[in-house]
Amino acid sequence: MNMSKYLVVGSLLVLAGCVTSTVDEMVFEEPTEALGDATVVILGRRHASDYETEPDFIACVAKHIHARDDTITVIPELDFMNNLYPWFEPRTAPLRPIDIERLMQVEPVRDKLIDMKTEYMVWIDGSTIRTEGAGSMTCGIGPGGAGCFGFGTWGNDANYEAIIWDFTDRQEVARMSTTVTGQSYMPAVVIPIPIIAPVQGTACDGLGDQLLKYFSIKY
Amino acid sequence: MSVSMTFARGWRHPLHLCVLTLGCALLAGCGANEVVVKGYFPQPVLDKLPITLGVYYDPEFRNHEFFDQASNRGESDWIVRTGAAQTQMYDILLGGMFEKVIMLNELPREDRVAAVGEAGADVILVPHVDELQYSIPRHTKINVFEIWIRYRYQLYAPDGELLADWTMTSYGKTPTAFMQTAEGAVNLAAVVALRDAGANFALNFTSVPEVKQWMEAREPRLEDEP
Repeated sequence: MNMSKYLVVGSLLVLAGCVTSTVDEMVFEEPTEALGDATVVILGRRHASDYETEPDFIACVAKHIHARDDTITVIPELDFMNNLYPWFEPRTAPLRPIDIERLMQVEPVRDKLIDMKTEYMVWIDGSTIRTEGAGSMTCGIGPGGAGCFGFGTWGNDANYEAIIWDFTDRQEVARMSTTVTGQSYMPAVVIPIPIIAPVQGTACDGLGDQLLKYFSIKY
Repeated sequence: MSVSMTFARGWRHPLHLCVLTLGCALLAGCGANEVVVKGYFPQPVLDKLPITLGVYYDPEFRNHEFFDQASNRGESDWIVRTGAAQTQMYDILLGGMFEKVIMLNELPREDRVAAVGEAGADVILVPHVDELQYSIPRHTKINVFEIWIRYRYQLYAPDGELLADWTMTSYGKTPTAFMQTAEGAVNLAAVVALRDAGANFALNFTSVPEVKQWMEAREPRLEDEP
Protein backbone atom coordinates (compact mmCIF):
# COMPACT_ATOMS: atom_id res chain seq x y z
CA MET A 1 0.00 0.00 0.00
CA ASN A 2 2.79 2.40 1.03
CA MET A 3 4.79 1.38 -2.01
CA SER A 4 1.93 2.29 -4.34
CA LYS A 5 1.63 5.70 -2.63
CA TYR A 6 5.32 6.35 -3.24
CA LEU A 7 4.89 5.28 -6.85
CA VAL A 8 2.00 7.71 -7.39
CA VAL A 9 3.87 10.61 -5.76
CA GLY A 10 7.03 9.71 -7.66
CA SER A 11 5.17 9.57 -10.96
CA LEU A 12 3.59 12.96 -10.33
CA LEU A 13 6.98 14.48 -9.56
CA VAL A 14 8.46 13.01 -12.71
CA LEU A 15 5.47 14.16 -14.81
CA ALA A 16 5.65 17.77 -13.60
CA GLY A 17 7.76 20.09 -15.76
CA CYS A 18 10.24 22.59 -14.36
CA VAL A 19 9.19 26.05 -13.22
CA THR A 20 11.10 29.12 -12.02
CA SER A 21 9.27 31.54 -9.81
CA THR A 22 10.08 35.10 -8.66
CA VAL A 23 8.00 37.06 -6.18
CA ASP A 24 8.27 40.70 -5.20
CA GLU A 25 6.36 42.95 -2.84
CA MET A 26 6.10 46.56 -1.69
CA VAL A 27 4.08 47.35 1.40
CA PHE A 28 3.20 51.00 1.96
CA GLU A 29 0.84 50.57 4.90
CA GLU A 30 0.81 47.51 7.20
CA PRO A 31 -2.61 46.46 8.56
CA THR A 32 -3.01 47.81 12.08
CA GLU A 33 -5.45 45.15 13.26
CA ALA A 34 -6.83 41.74 12.32
CA LEU A 35 -9.57 41.59 9.71
CA GLY A 36 -12.16 40.33 12.17
CA ASP A 37 -15.50 40.03 10.39
CA ALA A 38 -14.47 42.42 7.61
CA THR A 39 -14.12 40.92 4.14
CA VAL A 40 -11.66 40.95 1.27
CA VAL A 41 -12.56 40.88 -2.38
CA ILE A 42 -10.17 39.78 -5.11
CA LEU A 43 -10.93 41.05 -8.60
CA GLY A 44 -9.27 40.60 -11.98
CA ARG A 45 -8.39 43.49 -14.26
CA ARG A 46 -9.96 43.09 -17.70
CA HIS A 47 -9.79 46.49 -19.33
CA ALA A 48 -6.75 45.87 -21.54
CA SER A 49 -7.45 45.04 -25.16
CA ASP A 50 -4.86 42.29 -25.60
CA TYR A 51 -5.31 40.15 -22.48
CA GLU A 52 -7.69 39.50 -19.60
CA THR A 53 -6.84 38.25 -16.13
CA GLU A 54 -8.31 34.76 -16.01
CA PRO A 55 -11.33 34.28 -13.68
CA ASP A 56 -9.94 30.81 -12.81
CA PHE A 57 -6.75 32.41 -11.51
CA ILE A 58 -8.68 34.84 -9.32
CA ALA A 59 -10.76 31.96 -7.93
CA CYS A 60 -7.54 29.99 -7.29
CA VAL A 61 -5.94 32.82 -5.28
CA ALA A 62 -9.14 33.33 -3.26
CA LYS A 63 -9.35 29.59 -2.53
CA HIS A 64 -5.66 29.50 -1.57
CA ILE A 65 -6.12 32.28 1.01
CA HIS A 66 -9.33 30.92 2.53
CA ALA A 67 -7.97 27.35 2.64
CA ARG A 68 -4.93 28.43 4.70
CA ASP A 69 -6.74 30.88 6.97
CA ASP A 70 -10.46 30.29 7.24
CA THR A 71 -10.92 33.41 9.39
CA ILE A 72 -10.43 35.47 6.21
CA THR A 73 -13.65 35.86 4.26
CA VAL A 74 -12.97 36.31 0.57
CA ILE A 75 -16.02 37.35 -1.44
CA PRO A 76 -16.16 35.42 -4.73
CA GLU A 77 -15.42 37.70 -7.67
CA LEU A 78 -18.62 37.05 -9.62
CA ASP A 79 -20.82 37.46 -6.53
CA PHE A 80 -19.23 40.83 -5.86
CA MET A 81 -19.62 41.94 -9.48
CA ASN A 82 -23.26 40.82 -9.55
CA ASN A 83 -24.03 42.52 -6.24
CA LEU A 84 -22.58 45.79 -7.51
CA TYR A 85 -23.56 45.65 -11.17
CA PRO A 86 -22.74 47.71 -13.26
CA TRP A 87 -19.92 49.34 -11.27
CA PHE A 88 -17.27 46.60 -11.45
CA GLU A 89 -17.60 45.48 -15.06
CA PRO A 90 -14.41 45.60 -17.18
CA ARG A 91 -15.30 48.99 -18.69
CA THR A 92 -16.63 50.60 -15.51
CA ALA A 93 -14.39 49.27 -12.73
CA PRO A 94 -12.50 51.92 -10.71
CA LEU A 95 -8.90 52.27 -11.80
CA ARG A 96 -7.60 54.36 -8.89
CA PRO A 97 -8.36 54.23 -5.15
CA ILE A 98 -9.75 57.77 -5.38
CA ASP A 99 -12.50 56.46 -7.69
CA ILE A 100 -14.02 54.68 -4.65
CA GLU A 101 -15.11 58.11 -3.45
CA ARG A 102 -17.20 58.51 -6.60
CA LEU A 103 -18.78 55.11 -5.97
CA MET A 104 -19.57 55.90 -2.36
CA GLN A 105 -21.63 58.88 -3.50
CA VAL A 106 -24.15 56.48 -5.05
CA GLU A 107 -26.32 55.57 -2.09
CA PRO A 108 -27.31 52.02 -3.07
CA VAL A 109 -23.64 51.21 -3.83
CA ARG A 110 -22.51 52.59 -0.47
CA ASP A 111 -25.20 50.54 1.30
CA LYS A 112 -24.17 47.35 -0.47
CA LEU A 113 -20.49 47.87 0.33
CA ILE A 114 -21.29 48.51 3.97
CA ASP A 115 -23.45 45.34 4.02
CA MET A 116 -20.60 43.32 2.56
CA LYS A 117 -18.13 44.77 5.11
CA THR A 118 -15.48 45.12 2.42
CA GLU A 119 -12.23 46.28 4.02
CA TYR A 120 -9.73 45.43 1.30
CA MET A 121 -10.00 45.21 -2.46
CA VAL A 122 -7.26 43.29 -4.28
CA TRP A 123 -6.87 43.94 -8.00
CA ILE A 124 -4.94 41.28 -9.85
CA ASP A 125 -3.62 42.18 -13.26
CA GLY A 126 -1.82 39.75 -15.55
CA SER A 127 -2.11 36.56 -17.50
CA THR A 128 -0.44 33.29 -18.38
CA ILE A 129 0.73 32.99 -21.95
CA ARG A 130 2.24 30.23 -24.03
CA THR A 131 5.65 31.14 -25.38
CA GLU A 132 7.89 29.35 -27.83
CA GLY A 133 7.17 25.77 -28.85
CA ALA A 134 9.23 23.17 -30.72
CA GLY A 135 9.16 19.57 -31.87
CA SER A 136 6.70 17.49 -33.80
CA MET A 137 4.51 14.48 -33.23
CA THR A 138 2.83 12.07 -35.60
CA CYS A 139 -0.14 9.96 -34.67
CA GLY A 140 -1.59 7.15 -36.72
CA ILE A 141 -4.35 4.58 -36.62
CA GLY A 142 -4.42 1.23 -38.37
CA PRO A 143 -5.96 -2.25 -38.14
CA GLY A 144 -3.33 -3.29 -35.59
CA GLY A 145 -3.92 -0.31 -33.28
CA ALA A 146 -3.10 3.34 -32.86
CA GLY A 147 -0.11 5.26 -31.60
CA CYS A 148 1.97 8.42 -31.66
CA PHE A 149 5.66 9.09 -32.09
CA GLY A 150 7.59 12.28 -31.60
CA PHE A 151 8.48 14.95 -29.09
CA GLY A 152 7.03 18.37 -28.35
CA THR A 153 8.05 21.10 -25.96
CA TRP A 154 6.62 24.51 -25.16
CA GLY A 155 7.03 27.25 -22.58
CA ASN A 156 4.55 29.15 -20.42
CA ASP A 157 5.02 32.51 -18.75
CA ALA A 158 2.81 33.81 -15.97
CA ASN A 159 3.02 37.44 -14.87
CA TYR A 160 0.64 38.76 -12.24
CA GLU A 161 0.57 41.85 -10.08
CA ALA A 162 -1.74 42.31 -7.11
CA ILE A 163 -2.57 45.79 -5.86
CA ILE A 164 -4.27 46.09 -2.48
CA TRP A 165 -6.62 48.99 -1.80
CA ASP A 166 -7.75 49.87 1.67
CA PHE A 167 -11.43 50.57 1.31
CA THR A 168 -11.76 52.67 4.44
CA ASP A 169 -8.77 54.93 3.81
CA ARG A 170 -9.28 54.90 0.01
CA GLN A 171 -5.61 54.29 -0.65
CA GLU A 172 -3.24 51.78 -2.12
CA VAL A 173 -1.53 49.92 0.72
CA ALA A 174 0.57 47.23 -0.96
CA ARG A 175 1.69 45.91 -4.31
CA MET A 176 2.85 42.34 -4.94
CA SER A 177 3.91 40.52 -8.04
CA THR A 178 4.90 37.09 -9.21
CA THR A 179 6.61 35.91 -12.36
CA VAL A 180 6.75 32.23 -13.19
CA THR A 181 8.26 30.60 -16.25
CA GLY A 182 8.10 26.93 -17.06
CA GLN A 183 8.86 24.43 -19.77
CA SER A 184 6.52 21.56 -20.56
CA TYR A 185 7.39 18.44 -22.55
CA MET A 186 5.44 15.77 -24.37
CA PRO A 187 7.44 12.72 -25.48
CA ALA A 188 5.46 10.10 -27.36
CA VAL A 189 6.43 6.52 -28.02
CA VAL A 190 3.08 4.92 -28.84
CA ILE A 191 1.43 6.82 -25.95
CA PRO A 192 2.05 10.58 -25.51
CA ILE A 193 3.17 11.38 -21.96
CA PRO A 194 2.54 15.04 -21.06
CA ILE A 195 4.99 16.51 -18.55
CA ILE A 196 3.27 19.78 -17.78
CA ALA A 197 4.92 22.66 -15.94
CA PRO A 198 2.36 23.97 -13.40
CA VAL A 199 3.07 27.61 -14.23
CA GLN A 200 -0.28 29.17 -13.38
CA GLY A 201 -0.68 27.01 -10.26
CA THR A 202 2.75 28.11 -8.99
CA ALA A 203 1.87 31.75 -9.66
CA CYS A 204 -1.39 31.27 -7.77
CA ASP A 205 0.41 29.76 -4.77
CA GLY A 206 3.10 32.47 -4.84
CA LEU A 207 0.67 35.37 -4.96
CA GLY A 208 -1.70 33.66 -2.52
CA ASP A 209 1.11 33.24 0.03
CA GLN A 210 2.13 36.90 -0.30
CA LEU A 211 -1.45 38.06 0.21
CA LEU A 212 -1.78 35.73 3.20
CA LYS A 213 1.28 37.30 4.80
CA TYR A 214 -0.41 40.67 4.47
CA PHE A 215 -3.90 39.75 5.64
CA SER A 216 -3.43 36.89 8.07
CA ILE A 217 -2.21 37.12 11.64
CA LYS A 218 -1.20 33.44 11.43
CA TYR A 219 1.50 34.07 8.82
CA MET B 1 -43.62 -10.13 -42.98
CA SER B 2 -40.60 -12.39 -42.74
CA VAL B 3 -38.42 -9.74 -44.38
CA SER B 4 -39.42 -7.06 -41.87
CA MET B 5 -38.93 -9.46 -38.96
CA THR B 6 -35.40 -10.25 -40.12
CA PHE B 7 -34.66 -6.54 -40.50
CA ALA B 8 -35.97 -5.77 -37.01
CA ARG B 9 -34.06 -8.62 -35.45
CA GLY B 10 -30.91 -7.68 -37.39
CA TRP B 11 -30.65 -4.21 -35.80
CA ARG B 12 -30.61 -5.71 -32.35
CA HIS B 13 -27.07 -6.96 -32.97
CA PRO B 14 -24.64 -4.78 -30.94
CA LEU B 15 -22.41 -4.15 -33.95
CA HIS B 16 -25.33 -2.84 -35.99
CA LEU B 17 -26.32 -0.57 -33.15
CA CYS B 18 -22.79 0.77 -32.99
CA VAL B 19 -22.83 1.46 -36.75
CA LEU B 20 -26.20 3.22 -36.39
CA THR B 21 -24.96 5.33 -33.46
CA LEU B 22 -21.76 6.25 -35.30
CA GLY B 23 -23.76 7.16 -38.40
CA CYS B 24 -26.08 9.37 -36.37
CA ALA B 25 -23.09 11.04 -34.69
CA LEU B 26 -21.46 11.74 -38.06
CA LEU B 27 -24.70 13.12 -39.48
CA ALA B 28 -25.18 15.29 -36.39
CA GLY B 29 -21.78 16.84 -37.13
CA CYS B 30 -23.18 18.12 -40.44
CA GLY B 31 -26.04 20.09 -38.82
CA ALA B 32 -25.90 23.69 -37.67
CA ASN B 33 -24.71 24.47 -34.14
CA GLU B 34 -27.54 26.28 -32.45
CA VAL B 35 -27.14 28.33 -29.29
CA VAL B 36 -30.02 29.97 -27.49
CA VAL B 37 -28.21 32.46 -25.26
CA LYS B 38 -29.09 32.07 -21.59
CA GLY B 39 -27.52 33.77 -18.63
CA TYR B 40 -27.93 35.57 -15.36
CA PHE B 41 -28.33 39.34 -15.54
CA PRO B 42 -28.10 41.11 -12.20
CA GLN B 43 -30.34 43.91 -11.01
CA PRO B 44 -28.40 47.20 -11.35
CA VAL B 45 -27.42 49.04 -8.19
CA LEU B 46 -28.31 52.62 -9.13
CA ASP B 47 -30.19 55.68 -7.95
CA LYS B 48 -33.39 55.38 -9.98
CA LEU B 49 -34.08 58.21 -12.43
CA PRO B 50 -37.43 59.92 -11.74
CA ILE B 51 -38.74 59.05 -15.19
CA THR B 52 -41.59 56.85 -16.38
CA LEU B 53 -40.04 55.10 -19.33
CA GLY B 54 -41.98 53.47 -22.12
CA VAL B 55 -40.05 50.68 -23.86
CA TYR B 56 -40.75 49.22 -27.25
CA TYR B 57 -38.85 46.16 -28.50
CA ASP B 58 -39.50 45.62 -32.17
CA PRO B 59 -39.89 42.01 -33.42
CA GLU B 60 -36.39 42.04 -34.91
CA PHE B 61 -34.93 42.96 -31.51
CA ARG B 62 -37.04 40.41 -29.61
CA ASN B 63 -36.08 37.60 -32.00
CA HIS B 64 -32.56 38.71 -32.78
CA GLU B 65 -30.17 36.01 -33.96
CA PHE B 66 -27.03 35.80 -36.00
CA PHE B 67 -26.13 33.16 -38.50
CA ASP B 68 -22.67 32.12 -39.61
CA GLN B 69 -22.53 29.91 -42.66
CA ALA B 70 -19.84 27.25 -42.82
CA SER B 71 -17.18 28.11 -45.39
CA ASN B 72 -16.29 24.47 -46.16
CA ARG B 73 -17.63 20.93 -45.72
CA GLY B 74 -15.66 20.19 -42.58
CA GLU B 75 -17.30 23.00 -40.65
CA SER B 76 -20.77 23.62 -39.29
CA ASP B 77 -23.13 26.53 -39.60
CA TRP B 78 -23.80 28.52 -36.47
CA ILE B 79 -27.10 30.03 -35.32
CA VAL B 80 -26.88 32.12 -32.18
CA ARG B 81 -30.21 33.34 -30.84
CA THR B 82 -29.67 36.39 -28.65
CA GLY B 83 -33.17 37.93 -28.76
CA ALA B 84 -34.65 36.41 -25.59
CA ALA B 85 -31.50 37.04 -23.52
CA GLN B 86 -31.11 40.67 -24.60
CA THR B 87 -34.80 41.37 -23.92
CA GLN B 88 -34.41 39.80 -20.46
CA MET B 89 -31.27 41.87 -19.80
CA TYR B 90 -32.92 45.17 -20.81
CA ASP B 91 -36.07 44.35 -18.79
CA ILE B 92 -33.97 43.90 -15.64
CA LEU B 93 -31.65 46.83 -16.38
CA LEU B 94 -34.35 49.39 -17.20
CA GLY B 95 -36.46 48.24 -14.25
CA GLY B 96 -33.52 49.10 -11.99
CA MET B 97 -32.68 52.39 -13.73
CA PHE B 98 -36.04 54.13 -13.96
CA GLU B 99 -38.77 54.82 -11.44
CA LYS B 100 -41.38 53.14 -13.61
CA VAL B 101 -41.14 51.16 -16.84
CA ILE B 102 -44.05 50.54 -19.18
CA MET B 103 -43.81 47.95 -21.94
CA LEU B 104 -45.38 49.20 -25.17
CA ASN B 105 -46.73 47.08 -27.97
CA GLU B 106 -46.29 49.71 -30.64
CA LEU B 107 -44.04 52.58 -31.58
CA PRO B 108 -45.19 56.11 -30.67
CA ARG B 109 -46.71 57.89 -33.67
CA GLU B 110 -48.66 61.08 -33.93
CA ASP B 111 -51.94 59.23 -34.60
CA ARG B 112 -51.41 57.04 -31.53
CA VAL B 113 -50.35 59.72 -29.06
CA ALA B 114 -53.43 59.08 -26.90
CA ALA B 115 -52.56 55.41 -26.42
CA VAL B 116 -49.00 56.18 -25.33
CA GLY B 117 -50.16 59.17 -23.27
CA GLU B 118 -52.69 57.01 -21.45
CA ALA B 119 -49.92 54.61 -20.59
CA GLY B 120 -48.26 57.56 -18.84
CA ALA B 121 -44.76 57.34 -20.26
CA ASP B 122 -42.56 60.46 -20.10
CA VAL B 123 -40.34 59.16 -22.90
CA ILE B 124 -40.16 56.04 -25.02
CA LEU B 125 -36.97 54.08 -25.59
CA VAL B 126 -36.56 51.89 -28.66
CA PRO B 127 -33.35 49.81 -28.72
CA HIS B 128 -32.06 48.19 -31.93
CA VAL B 129 -29.10 45.95 -32.76
CA ASP B 130 -27.29 48.10 -35.29
CA GLU B 131 -24.36 45.81 -36.00
CA LEU B 132 -22.87 42.61 -34.66
CA GLN B 133 -19.42 41.17 -35.31
CA TYR B 134 -17.93 37.98 -33.93
CA SER B 135 -15.10 35.52 -34.13
CA ILE B 136 -15.91 31.86 -33.72
CA PRO B 137 -13.64 28.97 -32.68
CA ARG B 138 -12.60 28.06 -36.22
CA HIS B 139 -11.13 31.55 -36.51
CA THR B 140 -9.46 31.44 -33.11
CA LYS B 141 -8.67 27.65 -32.98
CA ILE B 142 -9.63 27.43 -29.29
CA ASN B 143 -13.09 27.69 -27.74
CA VAL B 144 -12.87 31.41 -27.22
CA PHE B 145 -15.55 33.48 -28.87
CA GLU B 146 -15.57 37.23 -29.18
CA ILE B 147 -18.74 39.20 -29.82
CA TRP B 148 -18.98 42.90 -30.53
CA ILE B 149 -22.40 44.54 -30.69
CA ARG B 150 -23.36 48.07 -31.60
CA TYR B 151 -26.74 49.04 -30.18
CA ARG B 152 -28.71 51.96 -31.51
CA TYR B 153 -31.08 53.69 -29.11
CA GLN B 154 -33.91 56.00 -30.08
CA LEU B 155 -35.70 58.10 -27.52
CA TYR B 156 -39.12 59.45 -28.43
CA ALA B 157 -41.45 61.95 -26.78
CA PRO B 158 -44.96 60.58 -26.14
CA ASP B 159 -46.15 62.52 -29.22
CA GLY B 160 -43.76 60.58 -31.43
CA GLU B 161 -41.12 63.29 -31.76
CA LEU B 162 -37.61 61.84 -31.93
CA LEU B 163 -35.66 63.33 -29.01
CA ALA B 164 -32.39 61.43 -29.27
CA ASP B 165 -30.75 58.85 -31.49
CA TRP B 166 -27.38 57.46 -30.47
CA THR B 167 -25.25 54.30 -30.52
CA MET B 168 -23.26 52.43 -27.89
CA THR B 169 -20.98 49.46 -28.32
CA SER B 170 -20.42 46.40 -26.20
CA TYR B 171 -17.86 43.61 -26.24
CA GLY B 172 -17.79 40.13 -24.81
CA LYS B 173 -15.20 37.39 -24.84
CA THR B 174 -15.43 33.87 -23.44
CA PRO B 175 -13.85 34.35 -20.00
CA THR B 176 -12.50 30.82 -19.80
CA ALA B 177 -12.18 28.16 -22.44
CA PHE B 178 -11.34 25.45 -19.91
CA MET B 179 -13.84 22.57 -19.99
CA GLN B 180 -16.10 24.54 -22.33
CA THR B 181 -17.97 23.20 -25.31
CA ALA B 182 -18.09 25.52 -28.31
CA GLU B 183 -21.76 26.19 -27.57
CA GLY B 184 -21.01 26.98 -23.92
CA ALA B 185 -18.19 29.28 -24.96
CA VAL B 186 -20.35 31.30 -27.37
CA ASN B 187 -23.09 31.55 -24.74
CA LEU B 188 -20.61 32.93 -22.20
CA ALA B 189 -19.23 35.46 -24.68
CA ALA B 190 -22.74 36.65 -25.54
CA VAL B 191 -23.67 37.00 -21.85
CA VAL B 192 -20.49 39.03 -21.20
CA ALA B 193 -21.31 41.26 -24.22
CA LEU B 194 -24.87 41.81 -22.95
CA ARG B 195 -23.65 42.66 -19.45
CA ASP B 196 -21.23 45.14 -21.00
CA ALA B 197 -24.03 46.66 -23.09
CA GLY B 198 -26.11 47.08 -19.94
CA ALA B 199 -23.22 48.64 -18.00
CA ASN B 200 -22.45 51.06 -20.81
CA PHE B 201 -26.10 52.09 -21.15
CA ALA B 202 -26.71 52.41 -17.41
CA LEU B 203 -23.71 54.62 -16.69
CA ASN B 204 -23.78 56.74 -19.84
CA PHE B 205 -27.49 57.28 -20.50
CA THR B 206 -27.64 60.66 -18.78
CA SER B 207 -24.44 61.81 -20.50
CA VAL B 208 -25.90 61.55 -24.02
CA PRO B 209 -26.14 65.27 -24.98
CA GLU B 210 -29.75 65.12 -26.24
CA VAL B 211 -30.88 63.11 -23.20
CA LYS B 212 -29.10 65.50 -20.88
CA GLN B 213 -30.76 68.44 -22.61
CA TRP B 214 -34.20 66.82 -22.33
CA MET B 215 -33.69 66.07 -18.64
CA GLU B 216 -32.51 69.62 -17.92
CA ALA B 217 -35.54 71.05 -19.74
CA ARG B 218 -37.80 68.73 -17.73
CA GLU B 219 -36.42 69.60 -14.30
CA PRO B 220 -38.02 73.08 -13.98
CA ARG B 221 -41.39 71.57 -14.98
CA LEU B 222 -41.03 68.94 -12.25
CA GLU B 223 -40.23 71.64 -9.70
CA ASP B 224 -43.40 73.57 -10.71
CA GLU B 225 -45.58 70.50 -10.18
CA PRO B 226 -47.25 70.34 -6.75
